[in-house]
Amino acid sequence: MTSRLARAARDPALEPVREAFTRAYSTGEFLYPKVAVYRGAGASHSWMWFADMLERFSLYDTDFIDEGALDGGLDEYDVLLFGGGDTYATARALGEIGAGHIETAVSRGALYWGSCAGAYMVLSDVDLDPFTPFNGVPGGMENVMTDPPEPRCMGHKYLAEYGVSQVFNPVYGEVKLRTDDGEELGAPLYGGPIMSAGEGSRVVAHYSGKAGRAAFPWEPSEAMDFIRGSAAVLSSPLGEGVMYAAGPHLEHPMFPAANAMIGSKILTHCMARSSRGFPYDERTAGEEKKEKLCMDIKREVSNARIAAFGLEKMPVTWTSGVKVWEPAKVSMFLETAWRRLPLLTGLSGGAPAPELEAVARGYAGVTVMVKSVVRLAMRGEDSRAEALTLLDTLKELTARFLSLYFRLLLDDMPGTCS
Amino acid sequence: MDYMYCGETLLVDLESGESEEVELVEVEEAGPGLAAGLALYEKYAADDPLVIGSGLLAGTTAPASCLGFVLGKSPSSDNLSLVPLNEFAGAEVKLSGFSFVVVKGSSKTPVYLWLHDGVADVHDASQIRGKDTWATTDWIRHEMGEGLIQVISIGPAGEKKSPLASLGINYWGGIDPGGLGALAGSKNLKAVAVRGLGMLDGEDPQAFYDATVSLSKSADAFTGLAEVCSKTGSEDITGWLEPMVHRYRSCFACPSACGTFLKYNESPSSLDLEGVPEPGFLLFDAGAALVLKEGGWEAEPAARALEAMAREGIDLIRGAKLLAAKPVSDAAAIKDAVSSLEGEPDALWPAPQASPSSIFESWPPPLAAGDEWLTATALGYVLGICPVFIMTSGATLDSFAALSKPAAGIELTVAEIAGMIPPRS
Repeated sequence: MTSRLARAARDPALEPVREAFTRAYSTGEFLYPKVAVYRGAGASHSWMWFADMLERFSLYDTDFIDEGALDGGLDEYDVLLFGGGDTYATARALGEIGAGHIETAVSRGALYWGSCAGAYMVLSDVDLDPFTPFNGVPGGMENVMTDPPEPRCMGHKYLAEYGVSQVFNPVYGEVKLRTDDGEELGAPLYGGPIMSAGEGSRVVAHYSGKAGRAAFPWEPSEAMDFIRGSAAVLSSPLGEGVMYAAGPHLEHPMFPAANAMIGSKILTHCMARSSRGFPYDERTAGEEKKEKLCMDIKREVSNARIAAFGLEKMPVTWTSGVKVWEPAKVSMFLETAWRRLPLLTGLSGGAPAPELEAVARGYAGVTVMVKSVVRLAMRGEDSRAEALTLLDTLKELTARFLSLYFRLLLDDMPGTCS
Repeated sequence: MDYMYCGETLLVDLESGESEEVELVEVEEAGPGLAAGLALYEKYAADDPLVIGSGLLAGTTAPASCLGFVLGKSPSSDNLSLVPLNEFAGAEVKLSGFSFVVVKGSSKTPVYLWLHDGVADVHDASQIRGKDTWATTDWIRHEMGEGLIQVISIGPAGEKKSPLASLGINYWGGIDPGGLGALAGSKNLKAVAVRGLGMLDGEDPQAFYDATVSLSKSADAFTGLAEVCSKTGSEDITGWLEPMVHRYRSCFACPSACGTFLKYNESPSSLDLEGVPEPGFLLFDAGAALVLKEGGWEAEPAARALEAMAREGIDLIRGAKLLAAKPVSDAAAIKDAVSSLEGEPDALWPAPQASPSSIFESWPPPLAAGDEWLTATALGYVLGICPVFIMTSGATLDSFAALSKPAAGIELTVAEIAGMIPPRS
């Protein structure tokens, strides 16, 4: 099966980073990082793109954390990844304590990469409540004004309030970036900031033009004139670490060259640091049941994705905060697990049976929830509450699945660290 | 053959409720599509199985690549018999994650088989026991939350093992010359529901895509069963059906739209999506309608009778042959007439004109003479392309056979394909 996604995953641009981290894991030559991907309150589905990207780089020592995980601090992590979503909801959920934990972890040597909402949150000029405690990248957003023009299209994705002003998105889709070393690459801009650098921050890439597929709430030429030359990716050192703010989603799985750019930044960061070994010796075997349990998971994910396909045909959307969810997002969560199932089954490591059972039960519950939303939508009834519960459940369950999957991948890696 | 099939052969034992996957070797050994299906039937013949499969190109961009099949021994004649799976059922079988499915044994209680993404589940069907095919299709789709699930089911006629019983596809009946619906009934198999979101790989995907698009564009496409009748030299039914025709519909990937939706419970010109819930009947094959017309039936009662037979799970052609001589017109009389069919002895399908020893009955209707009809039909079942389209498209048989090269890396000639389907022994 050669899908576009599978072809992108095999793109040669990814190979140097993958090879280097595989080597780091097996030889301890430099830091094989422990990564945290934020998937908590406010996060959209885009955190799963980070999971795809990390898998491409063989970076399996990864936790998918929510706001609750931040209570204990983030010091164990070498890389912090925050994706898109509802910036307000994320900032409120993390609060001053969460902001402090991020700052402390980076000051002690971690790398922070924020895409879209994860970038808005840490820009220094974005400081109204609830963003006041978050800083780290000196800079501001240029896509804000008090009275932006009416959009030509994409009205539901065009605006977000910011105080008395409005953050607006003149282009929605693939844009071209030029990096500070002259490379040109494409990445999707889904409402992320169009930025200006502040004192102490560096422009790592700027918007350079129009790429293949995009929608234009503004006239295309006006939109591109507006964004061209502005900062797309900013970086700033903070203590021993570094923070990046990226308007576009360079982690999107269909953009391997953009993935490689993030990978090279993480790699450079890790090569300057020493390995610290891993305590992964707690493999709880359940090998004899693994095949059956994997089939149970497959059965339930399949049932859920078939029902979710039915849901995609319904003319409904659900709003949570400033984030609009479409039915297709349900399928995206399910696909994240679905396309990894053959690998999960084939991994040689023993799998913890209770965890596999819990994941299977979780997906069985999701199937029931998807069907319930389908039936409500078919009857023309309000499905918002059920749909948002479903999406929260899927977010949680997908993180659980990915944690299990990454742990098994790590167990399967040849190396001295495990 | 690494391409155009995904998954192995699924072996389902209804007696134990267990299923297992066994290596698929029949495509390599006997040939794709029906050729492999026949080989699988022979392998498991002692179990009196139902074999479900699809042709090499089913579910692809090839024009009219909609054809799958159910193969089994007719309870009436003991001959091997075929039910074509058209509409979207053949394509879904292909994408279900199993290349072929062999169903053996009998369940003690009614069950249905749910095939999805390489997973096979045998589910309890007690809640749909006694239900007609419409209610069965609705129930399974509602249960699974997806309206595109293809449901191959039996109605009350199949459950009673009536010789006239048919396997039907969704709501619109089926073409079941040998009464495999009764065989399914004897196995307590109420339905096979199929949905797959799988993908197929080709040996040379771009060349295959280009060839199939070219073939589709150059085809002589048509709409409506009336045109099929004119191409077969059958009686002109245009005027007879016309007052009820609402729209035309094609099977999977077909440039032609044989399917003719007849509205008789509301105006055929109505486009109101909130209109009556069951406005009429979608007719995919003209044969049964022609039989009723020849018997003197008016068009609307005939359409209502076809609907009633599809609901009951009675083969439309054989049922129509029994009803033809006693035309009725009011709804209650139609229902009574159809209900009484279940107790009738079998009525024979029209014998194939071209080759009485062929496994193929007279579907599709003979659109060409003798050997040509037989060859085109074999080509259709092996490649998974509707034979009606093959014979009406204006394209050469060679152009269809040539698709096997970019699809699967094998060069099959028309003669080789025809030779894969032996005469009935």
